[in-house]
Amino acid sequence: MTTIPLKAKDYRSGIEPVWCTGCGDYGVLKGLTQALADIAVPPERLAVISGIGCSSRLPGYTKSYAFNTIHGRALPIASGLKIARPEITTIVVGGDGDGFSIGLGHLPHAIRRDVDITYAVLDNGIYGLTKGQASPTTATEFKRDRGLAGVDERPLNPVLLVLSAGCGFVARTHAGNLPHMRIMLREAIQYPGFAFVHVLAGCVTYQTPSYAQTVYDRCDVLPDDHDPSDLDRAMSLARAERFKLGVLYRREPGVKPDVLPEGHDVAPDVWAPEAEMTSEPLGEDRAKDAEFPGG
Amino acid sequence: MSSAPSSIQASTPRPASADSRVLALVGSGGDGVAVLGDIILQMAAQQGLYGVMVQSYGPQIRGGESAVVLRLSREEVQYEGDEADLLLCFRAADLKRFLGAVRLHAGSVMVLETADEGALPEWLGRDGRDAFRYAFARMDAGAEVPGEPKNMKALALIVKLLGWSPELARETLGRRFGHRAARLTENLTAFDQALAHEGMPVMPALTGHGRVLHVETGNEALARGAMDAGLGFFAGYPITPSSEVMETLIEEFPDRGGRVVQAEDEIAALGMVLGASFGGVTSMTATSGPGLSLMTEMLGLASMAELPAVIIDCQRAGPATGMPSRTEQSDLYHAVYGGHGDFPRAVLGVFDVLHGREVMHKALHLSEAYQMPVLVLSDAYIAQRRQILEPPGDLGPHPARKRWTPDDGPARFDLSGEKGVNAFRVPGTPGGTYPAAGIEHTPDGLPTADTNMHQRMNTKRFAKLAALAVETAGWVRTFGDPGAPNGIVSWGSQFGLLREWVKVHPGWRVFLPEIIHPFPTAAFEKWRQGLERIAVVELSFQGQFHHHLAGHTDIRGIERLGRSGGVPITLRELEHLLEARS
Repeated sequence: MTTIPLKAKDYRSGIEPVWCTGCGDYGVLKGLTQALADIAVPPERLAVISGIGCSSRLPGYTKSYAFNTIHGRALPIASGLKIARPEITTIVVGGDGDGFSIGLGHLPHAIRRDVDITYAVLDNGIYGLTKGQASPTTATEFKRDRGLAGVDERPLNPVLLVLSAGCGFVARTHAGNLPHMRIMLREAIQYPGFAFVHVLAGCVTYQTPSYAQTVYDRCDVLPDDHDPSDLDRAMSLARAERFKLGVLYRREPGVKPDVLPEGHDVAPDVWAPEAEMTSEPLGEDRAKDAEFPGG
Repeated sequence: MSSAPSSIQASTPRPASADSRVLALVGSGGDGVAVLGDIILQMAAQQGLYGVMVQSYGPQIRGGESAVVLRLSREEVQYEGDEADLLLCFRAADLKRFLGAVRLHAGSVMVLETADEGALPEWLGRDGRDAFRYAFARMDAGAEVPGEPKNMKALALIVKLLGWSPELARETLGRRFGHRAARLTENLTAFDQALAHEGMPVMPALTGHGRVLHVETGNEALARGAMDAGLGFFAGYPITPSSEVMETLIEEFPDRGGRVVQAEDEIAALGMVLGASFGGVTSMTATSGPGLSLMTEMLGLASMAELPAVIIDCQRAGPATGMPSRTEQSDLYHAVYGGHGDFPRAVLGVFDVLHGREVMHKALHLSEAYQMPVLVLSDAYIAQRRQILEPPGDLGPHPARKRWTPDDGPARFDLSGEKGVNAFRVPGTPGGTYPAAGIEHTPDGLPTADTNMHQRMNTKRFAKLAALAVETAGWVRTFGDPGAPNGIVSWGSQFGLLREWVKVHPGWRVFLPEIIHPFPTAAFEKWRQGLERIAVVELSFQGQFHHHLAGHTDIRGIERLGRSGGVPITLRELEHLLEARS
C-alpha cells in the first residue's frame, strides 16, 4: 500500500512527450496528472486510453495501463475494459478529429451506456498529426483563408451534441488555464458515470499563432451561482457566442436523463446502467421466434 | 375431405434407408413449420433417436415461405439426406422457392392441403395426384381464414406416420406451451382432432435407444462452448446468421457471471472485446461476413497489441449483403489473409453442432495461450441447424493466459520470451503498468519507426504462430478407408456430407483440417500418399480453399469442385460433380 501521498509526477511514465513547443497538450498532461494526484488513484488501477492523433500520444506519458489504440476507437475499447473490470479508473483522451470525425459514431452510444469513463477531448480545431487538414470543429473562415476542404460544411457543436445525447457530466475548460482544467478533470473522474470534458486548446503549428489566445479571449468562467442541474440552461450556454468554462451540466447520479420527448422515455424510474448493459433475458417465446424466422 | 388414392394407402413407402427417416415440411410464415419441426426433433431426442434439422427461407429473413428438412436416425447424423421420405406442404405454391432444398424419391409420401389446387413445381417429379390430402386450413367462400393451428394437425399425422406415441407428443406440447394454458388447449384440441382421422399412411416404426438426448443449434453450441471454456465477456452486434450466439449469451451468460454488451456496430463490438481482453478477461465476439469486414482493422490491433480475442464468423453468401440466410464458405480469404500489414492469427473451422463446444474450447485456448486473435469459421448451414446430440461432456480446465508477476522481468514485449509469448500484464497488478499500442513498439511498448525493431517484433509475433502450428499440427479429421485410391479435401460444414459419402463410396477417403490456418501441411502430405485422385470440395465460386492449399502443397492434379453457396451440396450433386470430372 502506498503511504506517501502521490504527486503529479508519480503519474508520469518518464517518457518525454513528442509535441511541438507551446502545444496545449503539455498543459493537459499536467492538469490530468495533477487531478489524478488529487484523487490519489493508484497507478496500477488506472487505465488511460486513446485513439490516434497528437493528443492521443498522451497515455504513453502517463504511468498507467496505457493503450494507444487505433483512430477513432478509444471509446469502445475503454467501454469494454470498464465493463469487464469496473474497479479500473478509465480515462479516454483524444482530439477533435479522432472523437468528432472518425469516432463520432461511438460517442452517443458510450453516453447512452453511461459507463463510468472520463472522456477528455482536446479540441484544437485542426488535424495536427497529419499536418493541417480541417477537422469537424475548424472555423469556416479559417478553412476559407487556408484553402482547406469543407468550407461549406458547418463546424460541429460538441457540447450541444453530448448534452442532447443525455451525457450526465459535461464540462468545458481551456488548456491555458491549468488550475481550472485540474478541477474540471478531477470532478469528471470522480463523477460516477460517463463524463465529457471539452478542452479548448491551440495548435501552435497548424493554427494561426494567435489561435489559442483568440479562443481564450472568448472564454468566461461560469459564475458561482450557475445551476449545473439545469439542462435547458446548459443547452442555452452551449449555443452562446462566448465559451463558458466550468461544469455546464451535472446530473445527479441515479437520476434518469431528461432528453427524450415527454412520454417517450421508457427508461426505468431509477436509471440503472447495469440493466442496460446486460438486458433482460429473452422469454421463451421471443427466443423461439428468433430461432425460427418465418416459422 | 377427398380420399387419398388407394394405391398409396395400400403400398408401403420405400424405406429411405433402413435406419433413417427424412421429413420435409413446407409452409408460409405463420404456418408454424419450424415449430413443428422442432417438436418432432424434441420428441425424437426424448426417445433416444439422433437427428438433424435444417431450414430454408425465401430471400427475406422474416416472413415468407419456410422449409424444414429433418432426418431422424438411430445413429448419429450430421447430414439431412438427399431425398425426403415425407413431404408435407400446406400450400403447393410455396414449394417453388425450394428447388434443391426439397427432393423426393418414387416412394415418398406426400401430404397436401385438401383445398389447395395449386400445381406442384415440375422439378419435384410428382404431380400430387397420389398425395394424401387433409383439410389443414379453415376455408370460407374459397379463401383461407384463421383457424385451428395447422402445424398441430400435421403433428398428429406425422406421429401416426412414424408410429410414435401420441402421449409423448402431448407431453412435449405440454412442456413447450405449458406456460400458456389457452394456447396449449388449442394445440391439443387440433392435435387430437387430426389424430382421430383415418387413412394416413404409415412407415416402419422408428424408435430410439430410450436414452434422452440433447437438442442444440450450431449457434447455441458455440455460445455455450465458449461459456463452458471460461468466457468472461462478450460484445456483439445483430447480424444473420450469427445473432443467436449473442441471444443465447444474453439469456444464459449473466447468470453464470459473464457480461454481455450489444454494441453500436461491429467495430465497437470487437473494440469492446479488445478492451476487456486488455483488462485480462477472456473475451469474444460473433458476427457474419459484413461484420468481419468492419472488424478488420481491430483484428490487426489485437495481433499488434498481443491481445487474446476470439471472433466467430457465421459465414453467409457474399459479397456485400449477398444472401444473408444462405450458406457459403467464402470468408476464408478474409479470415486467413484479411487486413493490412503482416500479422499472426489462427483460423479454425466448425464441422457441425456437435463440434461446436470442442472448437470453442480450442479457440479460447489458442487465443489465451498465444495472445493473438483466433477466428472460428462457422456458416449458415451449421448456425441455425438443430442437431440431436449426446449431452455435453467436460472438456477440461478453462484456458487461461500466463499472468505477469514482478518476477517476470521488465518488458511486456520482451523479445526473448519462450515461443514469443510474454506474461500478460493485467491492470490492477502493482508494478505492471506499461504502454500498449497499435503503433510498432520496442520491448517496453514505446513507439518506434526503426526497421530493425519492426523486423525483430514481427519475428517475435510470428514465433507465436510457429509454436501454435506445432501444437495444432494434428488438428485434422480423416475418415474412410486409409488405403482408398480417391481423396476429397474439404473443410468446415462439408463434414456431415463427407462422412456420409465415405459410407456409400468405399473407394474414397476424406481429409478435413480443423485448423485452417496455420494449415496442417505435414498431416495433409501424409494423408495424400498413395492417392490416385484428389478433389477439393467447397462452397466458394473462386475456390478459396483450393487456392489456400496452393500456398502449402503442390496442387497440380488436385481438382477444384467448388460452386457458389446457397443450398448445401448433396451426395447426389457430388456424385455428378465427380463423374463430370473423371
